[in-house]
Amino acid sequence: MSMRLRFTVNGEKHDLETQGNRTLLDVLRTDLGLTGTKKGCGMGKCGACTVLLGGRPVHSCLILAPQVNGAEVTTIEGLGGEEPHPLQRAFVERGAVQCGYCTPGMILTAKALLDENPSPTEPEIKAAIAGNLCRCTGYNKIVEAIRSCAAPSG
Amino acid sequence: MRIRPFEYYAAKNLEDAVRVLDQEGSGARLLAGGTDLVLSMKKKGALPSCIVDINHLRELEFVRRDDDVIRIGALVRHADLARDPLLFETLPALSEAAGLIGSWQIRNVGTLGGNLCNASPAADSAPPLLALDAHLVLSGPAGEREVALSDFFTGPGGTVLGRGEILREIVVRVPEGRSAGCYRKLRRRKAVDVSLAGVAFQAELDRAGRKLERVAVALGGVAPTPIRVPEAEALLAGVQAEEAREALTECVGIAVTAMRPITDVRASAGYRRSIVEAYLQNCVQSVLDALFGTSGARS
Repeated sequence: MSMRLRFTVNGEKHDLETQGNRTLLDVLRTDLGLTGTKKGCGMGKCGACTVLLGGRPVHSCLILAPQVNGAEVTTIEGLGGEEPHPLQRAFVERGAVQCGYCTPGMILTAKALLDENPSPTEPEIKAAIAGNLCRCTGYNKIVEAIRSCAAPSG
Repeated sequence: MRIRPFEYYAAKNLEDAVRVLDQEGSGARLLAGGTDLVLSMKKKGALPSCIVDINHLRELEFVRRDDDVIRIGALVRHADLARDPLLFETLPALSEAAGLIGSWQIRNVGTLGGNLCNASPAADSAPPLLALDAHLVLSGPAGEREVALSDFFTGPGGTVLGRGEILREIVVRVPEGRSAGCYRKLRRRKAVDVSLAGVAFQAELDRAGRKLERVAVALGGVAPTPIRVPEAEALLAGVQAEEAREALTECVGIAVTAMRPITDVRASAGYRRSIVEAYLQNCVQSVLDALFGTSGARS
């Protein structure tokens, strides 16, 4: 069943023909070629497919394409410009990237956290990324990288 | 994990959704956040021929106080429930439960109505709402009706929702006196996992501030539907601090015998019993401390 999908990705408006039984993840990776968003479990458990929907982290593998009609989506490609985003830089500088598969989702969740709460505590950081699995188990450096981007707490 | 093709219909409003659901009959499924339904469609558990989408209906996303009740729209996301100041203040057990569901990603999308209508015996929002004597407002082809949450579940995945019927809002009485509530759940992983057992305890103080009333014990994940345990509640109703602490062990013991837990890949029945025992003890203790103060507490 073909349908018209209009939504915004990384500030750019898209108007495309797609299928209602496709997920947001399929649309991003296949229709739009934005392969920075990764497909992991496909069941909403690993967090590799995390994108921001209206600024909030969601699993793009569990959202049907028609559900994002009119919505604003941010993927990892939407972060940084000429220069990498501070979180991207921190992940690189602090060795928070090993195989890299969880990194886009991890960074987007971290961005949403810092947007909502600019100076999170370590438990708050860990709670926020609880839905993002790192199979390399490099959590210490990931938490450190996120902490380094937090505003000093007043 | 391809999803089978289906007809997609974006409802214009609640009445429109009721009409189309009724027309399409058993092949149609209602889509809210989709965190359960889309997963089930991927696993081929649900194979709807038609999806009626209400996810975008903002008029069903509200939390408001209406005299002596709080009304919660069925489409309120778990993340919004967890951080709602009114709920945090008046219905803390529900607030706690909402914050323990899935991951942040799931809580941003999943809805309270979806959690209830999916009717998992382990649904985290059910025990606190059962303990609060919540009522549900259902909209259907024949109009509106109200059912008690305690009459809503019929078994795993089953509810009393009829053809074309949609859960519109959840209504909870605001506790009159001083009240306290608590929810604890067990899961294998520290985060994200479904609950193996969930325990809610809720109580109020009478006007004089001395005796417990409206005592409620509700359990999830331990029987085909979430349950209340009136026999355990009766032991604590109308008693004062000291007596309540003395009756605690017996109360917990009764609750454990009311369970009909299963053994599955996640946990054995025996383990579920032990966990409920420990968690209920902990919940009751923290509610008693909140209501009576910790001064009289015994280890």
